[in-house]
Amino acid sequence: MHDSPASPLLRRRLRQGRDRLATALITAGGIGVIAAVMAIGVFLFVEVLPLFWHGASTAPQVNVDTLWLPQSYPGLDEPVYRWEPALPEGDPGPRFSLAPLAWGTLEAAAWSLVVAVPLALGAAAHSALFMSRRLRAAIKPTLELMEALPGVVIGFLAGLVLAPWLEAHLGLGLTLLLLVPPGVVLGGALWSRLPGRLRRRLPLGWSALWLLPWLLLLWSLAKWLAPWLEGWWFDGDLRAWLAVHLGLDYVSRNAIIVGMAMGFAVMPTIYALAEDALSGVPTSLAEGAQALGATRWQTLCRVVLPAAAPGVFSAVMIGAGRAVGETMIVLIASGNTALMTASPLDGLRSLAASIAIELPEAAPGGTHYRVLLLAALLLFLFTFLVNTLAEVVRGRLRRRYRRMGDSP
Amino acid sequence: MSLTWRRPGRARLPRGEGPWAWLAAGSVSLSLLLLALLLGLLAVRGLGTFWPSEVAQLTLTDGSTVAGRPVKTSPLPDGEGRERLYRTDNRDLNGDIWTWIPVDDIEREAYPRDLVVLERSRWSAFIGRLVAWRPADGEQREGAAAWEALQASLAEHRRQRDTIERLKERRLLPLARRLEAEGEVPALVASLEDVQARIRALRAAMKGDLVVMESVDGRRIRQPVEEIMRARRPNAMSSVDRFLAWGHRVWRFLSEGPRAGNVEDGVWPAIFGTILMVMLMSLLVTPFGVLAAVYLNEVAHQGRLTRLVRIGVRNLAGVPSIVYGVFGLGVFVYGIGGQIDRWFFEQTLPSPTFGTGGLLWSSLTLALLTLPVVIVATEEGLSRIPDRQREGALALGATRLEMLTRVVLPMAMPAMLTGVILAVARAAGEVAPLMLVGVAKLAPQVPLDGEFPYLHLERKFMHLGYHIFDTAFHGNDVQAAMPIVYGSALLLVLVILVLNLTAIFLRHHLRSRHGSLSRY
Amino acid sequence: MPLKQDPAPRRGAFVDFSPEASCLEISGFGLRYADKPALRDLTLRVPRHRVTAFIGPSGCGKSTLLRALNRLHDLNEDVRREGEIRLEGQEIHAPEVAVAELRRRVGMVFQAPNPFPMSIYDNVAFGLRLQGGLRKRRIDDIVEWSLRSAALWDEVKDRLQASAWALSGGQQQRLVIARTLAVEPEVLLLDEPASALDPISTLKVEELIRNLKSSLTLVLVTHNMQQAARVSDYTAFLQDGELVEYASTDTLFTNPRLARTENYITGRMA
Repeated sequence: MHDSPASPLLRRRLRQGRDRLATALITAGGIGVIAAVMAIGVFLFVEVLPLFWHGASTAPQVNVDTLWLPQSYPGLDEPVYRWEPALPEGDPGPRFSLAPLAWGTLEAAAWSLVVAVPLALGAAAHSALFMSRRLRAAIKPTLELMEALPGVVIGFLAGLVLAPWLEAHLGLGLTLLLLVPPGVVLGGALWSRLPGRLRRRLPLGWSALWLLPWLLLLWSLAKWLAPWLEGWWFDGDLRAWLAVHLGLDYVSRNAIIVGMAMGFAVMPTIYALAEDALSGVPTSLAEGAQALGATRWQTLCRVVLPAAAPGVFSAVMIGAGRAVGETMIVLIASGNTALMTASPLDGLRSLAASIAIELPEAAPGGTHYRVLLLAALLLFLFTFLVNTLAEVVRGRLRRRYRRMGDSP
Repeated sequence: MSLTWRRPGRARLPRGEGPWAWLAAGSVSLSLLLLALLLGLLAVRGLGTFWPSEVAQLTLTDGSTVAGRPVKTSPLPDGEGRERLYRTDNRDLNGDIWTWIPVDDIEREAYPRDLVVLERSRWSAFIGRLVAWRPADGEQREGAAAWEALQASLAEHRRQRDTIERLKERRLLPLARRLEAEGEVPALVASLEDVQARIRALRAAMKGDLVVMESVDGRRIRQPVEEIMRARRPNAMSSVDRFLAWGHRVWRFLSEGPRAGNVEDGVWPAIFGTILMVMLMSLLVTPFGVLAAVYLNEVAHQGRLTRLVRIGVRNLAGVPSIVYGVFGLGVFVYGIGGQIDRWFFEQTLPSPTFGTGGLLWSSLTLALLTLPVVIVATEEGLSRIPDRQREGALALGATRLEMLTRVVLPMAMPAMLTGVILAVARAAGEVAPLMLVGVAKLAPQVPLDGEFPYLHLERKFMHLGYHIFDTAFHGNDVQAAMPIVYGSALLLVLVILVLNLTAIFLRHHLRSRHGSLSRY
Repeated sequence: MPLKQDPAPRRGAFVDFSPEASCLEISGFGLRYADKPALRDLTLRVPRHRVTAFIGPSGCGKSTLLRALNRLHDLNEDVRREGEIRLEGQEIHAPEVAVAELRRRVGMVFQAPNPFPMSIYDNVAFGLRLQGGLRKRRIDDIVEWSLRSAALWDEVKDRLQASAWALSGGQQQRLVIARTLAVEPEVLLLDEPASALDPISTLKVEELIRNLKSSLTLVLVTHNMQQAARVSDYTAFLQDGELVEYASTDTLFTNPRLARTENYITGRMA
């Protein structure tokens, strides 16, 4: 540090130069980083291209038909879909049909959405409109924490705890499914018959908490009812009944298990986004409807939900994107059998799980490797498109809210 | 003006909110219940499996005797009655460590205090009674004296093992390294041989002691003491002893390496691998993520292109992790790694050095995977800073760089930290991409050691998440792996929850601070 | 009372400055935001060591003009500009002018106080440290002098290391002025500096402005005509991005030449 007379000009020059250099570096670095992230799509595309770009020498055994249409193989009467990439020696050759994998992926995603969407949207509606502010401040982060639970832990619990449990207690599972929704509604009906003082003790805003013991009560009721139900309708054994009457074979690790586990994993994502959309609706709208005498549920259906519909839609889309790409849960809980059946009690194999299992063994540059890269490209494109759609819809919603908020 | 206004019949007001509102409330409760079940299950099983529970001695209806710890009960396949699984250990006698026993066959159940559980380095644990302690040179002891002698000699053995370890680490290894570096210097060779002789002597001193054990059905074995790691009488332990033993077991789980096909002892290498990988990843992701966010928010022209890029980056956060794994395998491992091998490690080809999965590639892949998280969080923080702060700095004659480094970035610090912590939490739980780019079932060497260059970026490493997957689904004996699996799962979930809670706290802190500013 | 109409064309904006030396000369200056004109063909001179006020209805471009004097529009690439602004005879947009140095010479205080999230001392020393090459003792002296000049020293001298965000709104605004004074600017631009403050703080800031004009040229944007009348020597009335009338404050408020000006200052807007 010194106060020499010549230095200020020099120092100013230095500062300017440093600024220009830094700006250039930030620009270059920023563009570089973004380009690196974006390079994923380009890389996959370039690597997949040789599959369809027939240089005669490499002679890949696949084309669009073999990947997506049933093929005839010697020894089989009908054309079938087969994913048998690695076969013992002497076999006519590997069979690459992506159709069963894509089917498995979509099936798993669909079942998980069947589980997650009602739960998530119900929870979002409740916490956006009914829940007391104090409880919401605690519950929302808790449910969002669920999102961070690693897939491998959820998958492990699904595969080693839930799957054997459900296999042993199929009747109880079905009873719970049939009993819990009407049971909760019954709880609501009982609540409105309660004397006023007791009802004030148990306000609707805190029902998420005081319904917990009610749910446990329903659980024990279901436990008591299950053998009775199984005996009455299903000749005492649901699993045998399914096999005899519907021809369905119950596999321990099946699409339902995957759906439940992945539904649990995807639910917080959908919940968080849908809740944001619902609670972002300007309160003036909801208050206007309530001032006309609408109940809060009517307000939700007629006013809030239509206004927030794009946000809710994009929440479901993003959830679907996550379900399609989730690897570990499907890998662990699905049995990984490449089947094309509609039965939710069969196993399945998804694109992501196949990549995780097979890619380390596939020879780089070979047909198997490239087909797996094609699977990755499909996942990439699907999720990217779904997310872009959701983002565009959400952006539009945000602008709409801003307009509604601005107008007096 | 007169108006005849007739009030229409008053509509029946609905009582309450109707069924759907209750279903909505029920779904919150159900989600909470499921979350609580999951965490509770993990906590109970994760912590409980290490509890030294009592050993039952069963007398069956056919007159035989069995000793073991009950694990679970399930209905018999034919539906008549139930059967219970006991962990009976004694693999050297029975060939298996599990026994299924129909509950109806159990005539009598007792918990004799003299039952001893030996943890051994070979075979499995041994459950039975201590008959005698026979030292290599000395007098045989029986009964209570034998138990005391065994405990004393176990403590002695432990001390000697520690001494050997110390000798190996402090004397043997440095000597070996110097020998390698300086060649066969006679003085060095002599001292090396001296150390080796001492170790041999210590080892020899440990040999020879025996205990005679008898299983509950009367079969005897002679068990060398050097193979016994711990001896306990769980039925005679007080609850304080039990708690201490449990704490000891938990500590071993956290601090020791796996043994016997990953199902015994601890997961320390997996914890270490996870932490090391995540640290490397955050070193990579933080500067680049912040750089990209600063570019997008502060430097780039805010036009349509920037908006598109921003949407693109956001969407990359939703791309499945396995796709990043594929990218990492194709570009980092086969592409860059293969090239490095061809340039610098030609002498070891075809066995790859960098051209196979490893620590560096895993960290890079996960850094790429979490880059959108950091970019989005940092950008959010940057966009929350009011423009008047930037203008204030500029109006004082600051250049853009000075404005960024002295005002904007310090203010965005909590947001950046939040982003990095969320990235770390995500990376710690990701397993799928690692399966492609470098995780190992059992890594023979830790990637960090005392050997130059200390941090071995090309080595494979163990990871908690993958450890769960592998031990639970690829092990020989899933039942035996359960304690380790539950423990690892609980540990992983705890780490991730703590990280997320920190991020939530930081974000909250950030919001309240800016709230106080925007009042004026 | 009916609105008065101007007989003359719009361009009647000038003032006789013959006794004053000008500090800033604006000639033919115009500004367009993404093809939307914000300022059109402004020509005026700002006299040295005087307080000049810009008044006009919201959206008239008075703040835009003020920010242009500091080249803050450089941050926005959508802005097109024409005409010249000269500071002490030098065109401020000339390529050889370093924008950071220009902004040091032309300080600016904003509508809402914007202290940095640092201590009071660090806020005032911020600009000095950017220049570099000053000893700690000298920085201490300048910080004290600046805080004294901004009439804040007595209130904060015991807590210079406290966070600037803990100060009240009026104190924050005076701190921002002190921070600007510390880098010894020649011109001080004030963009509605009192609009977010309570009446007592406002009076303090106004008094400060009057005291500062002995050593500085001040340009004040305000929507408060009483304030303009109280503190300024010259006043320019802008409307729709054009300069309508520019005169000494006394003349403009008591005897405006144009009917539009009179309508505005008497509260009858078209």
